[in-house]
Amino acid sequence: MADSDELSTRQGQVQVYFTTNSIDIELPEGKRQLLVPTDVRRYGLSQILNSESMLDTPAPIPFDFLINGTFLRTTLDEYLTANGLSSETTLNLQYVRSLIPPLYEASFEHDDWVSCVDVLSGSSTAGSWDVQGITAGNERILSGSYDGLLRVWNKSGQAITTSVSSSAGGHTSSIKSAKFISTSQIASSGLDRTIRIWKYTESEDGFTADLKPTMELYGHKGSIDSIDVHGPSNRILSASTDGSIGLWTTQKSSAPAAPAELLTSGPTAKRRKLTTSTSTPQRGPLSLMSSHTAPATAAIFNPLDSTVAYSASQDHTVRTFDLATSSLVDKRTASHPLLSLTALPGISTQLLAAGTSARHITLLDPRISAASTQVMTLRGHTNKIVSLSPDPESNYGLISGSHDGTCRVWDLRSSRQGTKDEGGGLVGEAVYVVERESQKADSRRLVGGEGIKVFGVVWDKDVGIVSAGEDKMVQINRGRGVTRAEGA
Amino acid sequence: MAHPQLDRKRKAVTRDVPESSDVESEAEFGDGLLEGILSQSEDSEDDSGEDEESDEEDEKDFDELEALDSDEIPSEDDESDAEKQNGGVNKINGSRTVEESTDKEQQPLDDEDKPNYTVVTDANGGERYVYDEINPVYDSDDSDAPVTTNTIGNIPLSFYDSYPHIGYDINGKRIMRPAKGEALDALLDSIDIPKGWTGLTDPSTGKPLNLSQDELEILRRIQTNEMPEEGYDPYPAMVEYFSGIEEIMPLSAAPEPKRRFLPSKHEAKRIMKLVRAIREGRILPYRPPEEREEEEEETHYDIWQDEQPRADHVMNIPAPKIAPPGYDLSYNPPPEYLPTKAEKQAWESTDPEDREKEYLPAAYGSLRKVPGYDKFINERFERSLDLYLAPRVRKNRLNIDPASLLPKLPRPEELKPFPTVCSTLFRGHEGRVRSLAIDPSGVWLASGGDDGTVRVWELLTGRQIWSAKIGDEEAVNAVRWRPGRDTVILSAVAGEDVYLLVPPIVDPQTDAASRELLDKGFGHATNATQALTANGARKEPVAKWTRPGSRLEDEGVLIKITLRTTVKVISWHRRGDFFSTVSPTAQKSAVAIHTLSKHLTQIPFRRLPGIPQTVQFHPSRPLFFVATQRTIRSYDLQKQELVKIIQPGARWISSFDIHPGGDNLIVGSYDRRLLWHDLDLSTRPYKTMRFHSKAIRAVKYHKGGFPLFADASDDGSLQIFHGKVVSDMMENATIVPVKVLKGHKVKSALGVMDIDWHPREPWCVSAGADGTCRLWM
Repeated sequence: MADSDELSTRQGQVQVYFTTNSIDIELPEGKRQLLVPTDVRRYGLSQILNSESMLDTPAPIPFDFLINGTFLRTTLDEYLTANGLSSETTLNLQYVRSLIPPLYEASFEHDDWVSCVDVLSGSSTAGSWDVQGITAGNERILSGSYDGLLRVWNKSGQAITTSVSSSAGGHTSSIKSAKFISTSQIASSGLDRTIRIWKYTESEDGFTADLKPTMELYGHKGSIDSIDVHGPSNRILSASTDGSIGLWTTQKSSAPAAPAELLTSGPTAKRRKLTTSTSTPQRGPLSLMSSHTAPATAAIFNPLDSTVAYSASQDHTVRTFDLATSSLVDKRTASHPLLSLTALPGISTQLLAAGTSARHITLLDPRISAASTQVMTLRGHTNKIVSLSPDPESNYGLISGSHDGTCRVWDLRSSRQGTKDEGGGLVGEAVYVVERESQKADSRRLVGGEGIKVFGVVWDKDVGIVSAGEDKMVQINRGRGVTRAEGA
Repeated sequence: MAHPQLDRKRKAVTRDVPESSDVESEAEFGDGLLEGILSQSEDSEDDSGEDEESDEEDEKDFDELEALDSDEIPSEDDESDAEKQNGGVNKINGSRTVEESTDKEQQPLDDEDKPNYTVVTDANGGERYVYDEINPVYDSDDSDAPVTTNTIGNIPLSFYDSYPHIGYDINGKRIMRPAKGEALDALLDSIDIPKGWTGLTDPSTGKPLNLSQDELEILRRIQTNEMPEEGYDPYPAMVEYFSGIEEIMPLSAAPEPKRRFLPSKHEAKRIMKLVRAIREGRILPYRPPEEREEEEEETHYDIWQDEQPRADHVMNIPAPKIAPPGYDLSYNPPPEYLPTKAEKQAWESTDPEDREKEYLPAAYGSLRKVPGYDKFINERFERSLDLYLAPRVRKNRLNIDPASLLPKLPRPEELKPFPTVCSTLFRGHEGRVRSLAIDPSGVWLASGGDDGTVRVWELLTGRQIWSAKIGDEEAVNAVRWRPGRDTVILSAVAGEDVYLLVPPIVDPQTDAASRELLDKGFGHATNATQALTANGARKEPVAKWTRPGSRLEDEGVLIKITLRTTVKVISWHRRGDFFSTVSPTAQKSAVAIHTLSKHLTQIPFRRLPGIPQTVQFHPSRPLFFVATQRTIRSYDLQKQELVKIIQPGARWISSFDIHPGGDNLIVGSYDRRLLWHDLDLSTRPYKTMRFHSKAIRAVKYHKGGFPLFADASDDGSLQIFHGKVVSDMMENATIVPVKVLKGHKVKSALGVMDIDWHPREPWCVSAGADGTCRLWM
C-alpha cells in the first residue's frame, strides 16, 4: 500500500469538485471536494464516488464524468495535458449516470423491409395512457412492414398476430408508420394514402391475439409517412407526401365522412376493391392543414400539450400548429430538408430534434419567443436520418436511426464548439453507435446503407432500443445493468 | 569676193520663196472655199511629183467622200476643174523660177552698172564728177598691204599638204597656210574677252583674276558710295502702326478699359459674407503659420576633395589621416591578431558584402612565403565570364506563383449545397439502366433499362413501388415524366413504341385526371386521319396511337404510339401537351412532335442537316432545339424558321440541356467534352471542360433554383458543377467544378447512362450501366 501511495504521489494529484444535476445522488456539501490521483479514468472516479465514504450506494452506480461539457474518456492526467492545464487547478467534474453501451439482445425476422416499430410497455406513451398499466414482461412490439402487414411481437420474439392482407381490409400497399393508441387500439398508415385503425385484442395467455380493422381514414393524396397518436383525446396526427398535415379522430361517431373523390379510384384499384368483402367504415379527416410546400415527413403532438402539433417537412421547415383551430402558429426554417422529428420534453425548455437529409440532427427551439432557431447540431451519421426517439430515462438523451444502417445514441450535455466547416454553433457527437446485427459479420462499408437502412427506432425504458430496417429485422439493443434513478 | 555674192544670192532665194508662197496662200484664203484643202497639199508640192500624185489621189478620195456625203454625182466639170487648178499651180511654179533667174541677174547689174559718181556743173560751168563717198563696207579692201604672191610656180599646191606653209613669198619667206574656218573660229574664241576679265593677276595664284557679276556689282556700289549689300534700303517706307486711322475690325489685345467694369453682385455678396464672418470672429484673418518640421536635406560636402598641402594654420583643418596599417595587416602579425578558428569560420560564413574586414590576418614565416593575390585566377575568370555572358543590367527572373495564375474561383466548400455522397441505391434492374427521371413532386423516381421494364421507386428509401414490362426484347431507352403537378403521367420508350403510363402510385383523383387527359385525344386522332385522307394525300400516318392491350392496360400502361423506327429520346414541352421524340435512324421522320391532347404526331422537319441526337423545348420561349451530331439548331415554332445554329465544336454531341433561364446551354459530347454556351454571346462555346476520361452521356441543369449542373460519363463518374448565371449581361457565368461522384461500376465500357436532378433539392440521381440507380445528396 505504501508503495502505491508513493506511486500516486509521484504521479501527482489533482483537486476535483464533484457536482451533479440529479438530486438523489447528490453528495453532501463537505464531501464534494477531493484530491484524486491524476492517473484515474472514468472507472476509477466512478469507484471513488461509489465508495462508502462518498455516496455509499447499496449497488454501485456507473457514472460518467463531464468536464467542461465533454465526457471524460481518458485519464485525468491526459486530460490536463491535452487542455494545457496545470495539476494545481481544481477540476469541476459533473457526474451523471453512465449510459451503458447498448448491447444486442434479439432480432425479429420479417418477410419484407420493416418500416416502423412501436412499443407498448408500462413506460411507453401508449402504456402510460392505460389506466391499468402493463406489467413487466407483457411488453408488446408492433412492427409495420413494406409488405403491408402489421405484426405484434412479444419480447421473446414470437409474432403474436399479423394483420390481415389487403383483400380482407388491410393496407393495399406498404405500411410506413404504425403506433399503439392504447393497449387495444393500433393506428397505421402507409403508401396507400390511408390511415387504418385496428382493434387489438389479446387472448388470456398472451400468445395469440387478434387484429381487426375498424376504420379507414381517407383524405391524404400522398403516401402517409408518419403518424402520431394521442390516446386520451383519440386524436391522430399524420404527415403526408402531399405536404398536408391531417388531424383525425379514432372515434367512428365523431369522424366526418370520407371525401368521395378519394374513394372512387381507378380501374385497377376498383378491381382490387371488388375482391375485398369487408365493410370497414371509411371516414375523413377532422382537418387537413396544407401549409407545407414539400412533402411533410413527420408530425408529432407536443407531449405536454396535445393541442399543439409540430410538423417537419422537406421544405426545410418545422411548423407549429394549433390543433384547436387547425391554424399555423409558427414556422422555423432549417437549412436542410427535414425527414424526422421528435420532441425532447425534459430539460428547462422543450426542444425539438429534427433529422435532416444532410446527415445531421438539428435541435430547434420551437418557442415563438426564442431568438435563435438552431440550438445545437448532432453530427456523425453518414446518411439521411429518418427516425428519432428520446431517451426515456434522461432528459438529455436521444437516439436516431439513419439510412446509413446505424442508430446513434446522443447525449446533449456533451458538446463542443463547431468548426467553421460545420457552420459553427454547438456540435454534439454520438456517444454510442448501434449497428445492425445482420451486417456485423460483413465489415465492408455499404454504399448508401444498402440493405441495412434503419427506417424506425424507438427507445423504450422497459424494452430498450428497438429499431427496424431494410434488413427485414426488428433489432433490440439494451444497455444491461443500468440502475434506474427510481430504483436507487 | 565671189563668196559674199554667192552668199547673198542664196540668202535672197531662201528669203523669197516662203514670202511668195505666203502671199499666195493668203490670197487663196481670201478666195475661200475649197482652197484651204488645196493649200495644205500645196505646201508639199515642191517636194516631189510623187507627193503630188498622192495628193491628187487624196483629193479624189476626199471628193468621193464628200460626194458620198452630199449625194452629188461627180460630173465631168468637176474633174476638169480640178485638172485646171493643178495646171494653174504648175504655171505659178514656173513663173516663180523665172522670177528667181531674173533676180539673179539683176543683182550684179545693180552693183556694176550704176555710176558711183554724179555729174554736177561746177562754178565754171564745167562738168564735175563728184564721187560718192566710199563706204568702207565689211569686206572692202581698205588696206594697202602688199599682196603676197606665192612664188612656188606652177606646181600643185597639194605638194605642200604636209607642211604648215603653202609656199614662199617674194622675199623667200614662208607663206603660212591661211587659216581654215574652224581655226579662225577657235582663234576668235580665244581672243574673246572672258567674262569678268580684269586684266589683273591674282597675286596668290598667279592666274588672271576674274570677277563674277556679283563682285562687280559690289564694286560698282562701293564706287558709287552705296551700301555694298544688295537690297538694303537705308530709307524704308514708314509703317504707321499706331496711326489715327481707325480700323473697322480692330484686333487688339489691350485689356478691357476700367470704365466698362461692372462690379459683380455675387462677389460683393461673398465679400460681405467674409466681412461678416471676420467681424463675428468666425474667420480669423491671420493664422499663425504652422510649425513645420523643417526637412532640411543634409548635404555633405567633401571639403577635402581637392586638398592641397598647406602650411600649418589655425584656419586650415587638414583632412584626417588614413589609419596606418595595423599589425593585422602584417604578413606576420603577432599571434593575438590572428583570428581564432571560430572567428575564421564566422568570417567565412558571412556574406562577402557583410564582412567587417575584407581580409583575414594570416601569418607567414617570411615575406617570400606570402602568396600572390590568391583570388587572382578566380577574379579573372569571373570577370571574363561576366564580359562574356552577363548583361550589364541586372535582370530579374519572373517570379510568379503558379497558383496566382489560376482564375479566382470560389472554393467548392463555399458553394454548398451540392450532392456529395451516395445516399440511396436502387437495385433491381437486370442489365443496364438506360434512363431515369424524378417526378415533378420529387417523391418518385422512374427508371427504364435493358430488361425492358419501367420501374418506379420511392426516392428516399430506394424501395421499388411498381414496375411494368413494356419491352419484350427491346430496352427501355428513355423514361420521362410529364411536367406538371396536376397529373402523374410517365412516358417511356421501348423499341419503336412510345408508351404513356399512369403508374398506380397516386391518389384516385389524380389518377382519374391523368387517365382522362390521356384518353381525351382519341376522337381527335380519328378526325385528323380523316382529314388527311380527304386531302387525297394517301399517306400512311407517321405514328399510330393505340391501346397497348389489356395486359399492359391493367398495369397502368394506357397508350402506345408506334413509330417507324427505334426511338431514343423523349423530351417534353413545359406545358405538358407536346412532347418530342427522336429516332436517329429514321431518315426524314427522325424528329417527331406529338400532341397529347389530340393524339397527333407531326414531323416538323422534311429534311434534316444531319442525324439528330436529341431535342429540347426552350423553357420559356416557343423555341425548339435540335441537336445533330455536330450542331444544335434552334427553330422558332411560331414563325417556323431557323433562329440559330450553335456550333459547340464537338465531334458527336450526346446530349444537351437548356438552362432554366433560357440563355445558356450545356452540351455533352462523346468526345469527352462538356461545353457551356451562352446563347446571347456567340454560337461558339463560352467554356469547354474536359475532365472525363470517357465519353459524356448526359448533361443536366438543376431546374429548381440551385446553380448546379452535372454530367455523366462512361468512366463511371458524375461531375457536379456550380454554374451561376447572373442576370447582368456584362458578367459571365461562373463555372466551378465542385464534386466528382464516383460509385458506378463500368460495365462493358459503359458507365453512367443518365442523370436527373431533384426538382427542389440539390440532389441528383444517376442511372448506371451496372444495373443500379443512385441518389446523391
